Amino acid sequence: MDLAVGQTARDVLRGRPRGRLTRRQREALAGYLFVLPDALGLAVFAGLPMLLALALGFFTVDGFGGYRFAGLANYRRMLLDPLFLQSLRVTLAYVVMLVPSLYVVGLGLALLVQRRSRLSGVLRSLFFLPQMVSLVVVALVWQVLLVDKIGIVNRLLSPLGLGGLSWLGDPRLALVAVVAISVWFLMGFYMLIFLGGLQDIPKEYHEAARLDGARPAAAFLYITLPLLRPTSFFVVLTATVTAVAGGQIFDLIYVMTKGGPANATELAIYYIYQQAFQYNEFGYAGAMATVLVVLLLGLTLLLFAVTRGGRFDG
Amino acid sequence: MTDQRDGRTDRSGGWTRRRLLGTGAALGGSAALGGFPVVRRARAAAKTMSFWQFYAPGGPVPGQTKWFEDTIKAWNDTHDVKVDLNYIPSGDYMNGAKLPTAFASGQGPDLFLISPGDFLRYYNGGVLQDLTPYIDAKVQADFTPNIIASRKVDGKIYGVPMEVEPMAFYFRKDAFDKVGLNETDVPKTWEQLLEIAKKLTTPDRFGVLFETTPGYYQNFTWYPFLWQGGGEFQTADHKSALNAPAFVQALKFWQDAVASGAAPRKPLGGGAWDIAPNLGSGYCAMQNCGIWGISAMAANAKDVPYGVFKLPTPTDGKYVTVGGGWAIVANARGGNPEAAGQFCAWALASASPDSLKRMVDWCTVAKSDMPPRQSAFAMGKAAFDSGFMKTFTTEIYPGTRAEPRLPPQVYKAISDAIQACQLNGADPAQQAALASQQVDAFLAGYSGAEIL
Repeated sequence: MDLAVGQTARDVLRGRPRGRLTRRQREALAGYLFVLPDALGLAVFAGLPMLLALALGFFTVDGFGGYRFAGLANYRRMLLDPLFLQSLRVTLAYVVMLVPSLYVVGLGLALLVQRRSRLSGVLRSLFFLPQMVSLVVVALVWQVLLVDKIGIVNRLLSPLGLGGLSWLGDPRLALVAVVAISVWFLMGFYMLIFLGGLQDIPKEYHEAARLDGARPAAAFLYITLPLLRPTSFFVVLTATVTAVAGGQIFDLIYVMTKGGPANATELAIYYIYQQAFQYNEFGYAGAMATVLVVLLLGLTLLLFAVTRGGRFDG
Repeated sequence: MTDQRDGRTDRSGGWTRRRLLGTGAALGGSAALGGFPVVRRARAAAKTMSFWQFYAPGGPVPGQTKWFEDTIKAWNDTHDVKVDLNYIPSGDYMNGAKLPTAFASGQGPDLFLISPGDFLRYYNGGVLQDLTPYIDAKVQADFTPNIIASRKVDGKIYGVPMEVEPMAFYFRKDAFDKVGLNETDVPKTWEQLLEIAKKLTTPDRFGVLFETTPGYYQNFTWYPFLWQGGGEFQTADHKSALNAPAFVQALKFWQDAVASGAAPRKPLGGGAWDIAPNLGSGYCAMQNCGIWGISAMAANAKDVPYGVFKLPTPTDGKYVTVGGGWAIVANARGGNPEAAGQFCAWALASASPDSLKRMVDWCTVAKSDMPPRQSAFAMGKAAFDSGFMKTFTTEIYPGTRAEPRLPPQVYKAISDAIQACQLNGADPAQQAALASQQVDAFLAGYSGAEIL
């Protein structure tokens, strides 16, 4: 049997003409074509800017078309810049507060609404509602709620003697307030992720545990949590990336605090923005952005290593 | 229609998937190309100039929008090269990425507005057109010298100021009444201000409001308190002058106001420049705010009884306030810098009475501001001599020093010192020394236009 180039024996047996794709190949091609727009978008709007930021980091850029090669000067400057180092500390504090809070609240809400009932449907919608609102609006609303002295939050807290707190004006509280608002905004999304994870756990395990007399707390600890490991990994990973990259938190900071009071909410991403767009230090901003990406990459790899790629098994 | 390749009948009304995708790609490509700035610019040639600002069309204050639209119409009716107004929301314009990004990509507007705080950034970047050749020598002399100074380098003018906005204090008369004070009791010194602020503070209201959000505006409002004690930014030999008693006492003044509980850590509304949500709502009894507060109160809190007084001074200090304001500038690297320069002069710096009237209208009808040209006071005498404008004209404006032009690095060092003392209880002397160190390090390598 003579085979033409690109023609397999199966093709010949099936009478498929030379050059026609197999079903599997066609499906693969369709898959790639579906992914292509996203891949192109990522390459153009994320990959390319990342490469440009990396390159910019080696230049002094004045923001008006002037470029001067600076070698590692921007990186050396970074090491001596107390504000950059402080912004990294603020970012770390933000991650440490946000990720566990999101995990606990997201999982708690998912457990609360996992049983199908009319009320749980309403609650799911309510908890997800903040996600439907523009983050700028969220920031403005919370700014009003948290106003010194006469804000609703302080009015509610005044019987406890806490009515005099300045949530967004006190450096000791501002980051906590920003974390709380971030959790409020993001909790619906993570609730949905956990709901998906919970629904993937076969009911038989819980029924067997119940028959064996296991208490709800034990069932949660020894069945639910272990089987939620892949979901937990996803939640921790995405929450960490969200916190460090500041994709959403940036709007909150920009509207509510501008990095204040006294740089208490100046996350690295906000400091980079300031350097680039307010001080025209595009080269320095590019170098800092590169360092931030490397740190984030390191953190992600560490997460993968510790959790064995989210499987948590030895 | 039959697809010849596989013999299947196409039921999509003549549109195969391939054709649909192809047409979509072609449409998308042409739309993207049409939206591509370089292509658009080439098509528009240099017969149209873009004017980026935060007033028109569709700006939030109808009177200001109308002024801009009328001005542009008057120019477009009489000139071949037209001006196209591009509105950018003020928040985006002042703190956003739009303007810097446009310039970084070589797509900056032909005309735009800048404050003195941004002057050095754009001048040192080489994008400001020299406007001196377009402005008559008599008109150049008509501008108040210290106001035009912050838009000049080596005797050449690079921006036409539209307005002067001096800072003052506003107070609520009803709050004063309640504690037995009246207009004659307005504070003259810092100590008196803090004392009265404490008296005016209640469980629902703060006695006095200063800006607390970090940024150019906070620095701007703080500078007069530095100057009142004799403080400066740099010495004659271009070294930092921040590590000085005047700097320390100004930091301490704001720190004491917050620490005493008489001043809030966070203003309402857009910030401490926003008078209606703060003084107007009763959130504070006295507010440090600029002359624009008059028109803002008239528009948004007209029933609130209020008064105005000039900034108090430290004991043995000298009265100084700061006058900010925007200037129209032309892009030296734009499509038509020559016409853009002519527009700046024509709008507010020509010898023609129309030009002067535009300035008077801007400062009295569209806004409530002081005019940067001295002859405008005569033309708009009726408006400048009435109501609270008179207080500004006769008492507050005469002590005005122009908003300084500082590079971002100097501004940031001062901003951090203000924030650390005002809101974080830091030691003012220590912060003054730290800011001074940072500014000295910067000045040692600075090579741009003179810092004023």
